[in-house]
Amino acid sequence: EDFFLEEKRFKQYCEEFIRHSQQIGDGWEWRTSKDLHDGYLSKTHFQVRNRNIPPDLKEKNNDNIEQILFAHVEESLDDSQIAEVCATEVIRYEYHVLYSSSYQVPVLYFRACFLDGRPLTLDEIWKSVHGCYQARLLEGPWDTITQQEHPLLGQPFFILHPCRTNEFMSSILAGSRKRNRHTNYIILWLSTVGPVVGLNLPLSYA
Amino acid sequence: MTDDKDVLRDVWFGRIPTCFTLYQDEITEREAEPYYLLLPRISYLTLVTDKVKKHFQKVMRQEEVSEIWFEYEGTPLKWHYPIGLLFDLHASNTALPWSITVHFKNFPEKDLLHCHSKDVIEAHFMACIKEADALKHKSQVINEMQKKDHKQLWMGLQNDKFEQFWAINRKLMEYPPEDSGFRYIPFRIYQATTERPFIQKLFRPIASGGQLHTLGDLLKDVCPSAIAPE
Repeated sequence: EDFFLEEKRFKQYCEEFIRHSQQIGDGWEWRTSKDLHDGYLSKTHFQVRNRNIPPDLKEKNNDNIEQILFAHVEESLDDSQIAEVCATEVIRYEYHVLYSSSYQVPVLYFRACFLDGRPLTLDEIWKSVHGCYQARLLEGPWDTITQQEHPLLGQPFFILHPCRTNEFMSSILAGSRKRNRHTNYIILWLSTVGPVVGLNLPLSYA
Repeated sequence: MTDDKDVLRDVWFGRIPTCFTLYQDEITEREAEPYYLLLPRISYLTLVTDKVKKHFQKVMRQEEVSEIWFEYEGTPLKWHYPIGLLFDLHASNTALPWSITVHFKNFPEKDLLHCHSKDVIEAHFMACIKEADALKHKSQVINEMQKKDHKQLWMGLQNDKFEQFWAINRKLMEYPPEDSGFRYIPFRIYQATTERPFIQKLFRPIASGGQLHTLGDLLKDVCPSAIAPE
C-alpha cells in the first residue's frame, strides 16, 4: 500500500531523469553538497514577466535570456527603460529536488529573485502561480507553500510540505503499475507538483 | 521517562541571561537603553522578545520599524533554531550576559526566514514535532492526536507550562513494551563551521547485535571528526 521511496531508488530515478534532461536540453543537473555526502537535482531558469516585454521574448526559457533581452532593448529603449525592464521584469527561478529520509519522499525546494538579487516574497511567488493551479494548491494534499531552511545550503527556500506526498503518489503509482509501464517516481511526482510552482516537464519525459 | 523528571525540568527551565542592544545605525528619537532578559533555552527568539520589541520601538519612529531581527557579532541569528542552540553554537565560550544586537531594517533575506506572526513559529515548531514522530513512530502517535492536543503542546511551549506540555509530549516519548525503543532516533548535530547547517540521518536505537546504541556510537557513525583525537 505504501510506496515509500528508498534513497538508493531516489538516486537511480534521478540519474535516469538527468539522462533524459540532457538529451532534450532541459537544463537539469545533479549537484552534491560540499562534503559530498548528499546530492540533489537542480535547475535554474529565467522567466520574463508580461509588462513592457515584446511577445517573442516572453516564452524563452533558457540561460541566454539576459543576452537576448539586452540585445533587443538596446535598439529601442533608453537607459532608464532598460534598467527598469532588466532589473525588475526578469525573474530567476531555482528548483532543487532533495530526498527526505524522515518521510522517505522527494521534496521540492525553490526560490526566485529579480536580476538585482532581490528575492520574491511568498506573495509575489503566489501571484505568479497560474490561476488554475492556485485552486489546486489550496485543495491539494499539501499544506501550502512555506519558507524553510535548505538542509544542505542553510539558506531560505520555499517548499511544498512533504508529509502527504506518499498519499497522492500511492494512487498515481498504483495506476501506473497496473498498466505495467516502467515508472520513474521522480518524473511522475515532479510532473504533478512542479506546475503548481511554475515548473513544467516536457511530455517527452513520460 | 518519569524517572528522568528532574532532568526534564532542568532542560525545560534552562535560561540564558541576555542583553539586547539596538543597532547603532537605527534611527531613534531618544537614546536607546539596553534591555535585559532571561531567555528560555528551549524557546524561539521571536516568541519571547515582544517586550524587547516594545522597548526599542518606544524610542523609534513608526516608519523606521519593519520586521525585527537579531544578530550576534555580525551573524544574523536564525530565529527558527532554539535559543539554547543559538547560544551554544555562537557564544558558549564568551562571558555572560549574551549580547545580542537588535535590528529593524535591512532584513537579511539570504540568511533568515521571515517571521511575520506567531503562527509562523507555531507552524515551524509543529513541523519539527511531526518530523520527529515520523522517525519515532511512523507518524502514528502524532496523527492519532486531536487538534486540541497539538494546540496544547504549542501553548505549553508558548506559555512556559511544563506540566501542560509534558501531558501531551509524554505520549510522543513512549514506545510499545515489546519494542526496545523508537524506530529511529530523531537527532540533529549542528556545526557553526560547515555550509551544511546540520547532520541528520536515519539512526536506530539498537545495534544489529541487540545492544543499545550510545551517543558515542552515534557520533562515531555520523560525525567522526567530533571525537577524533586532536
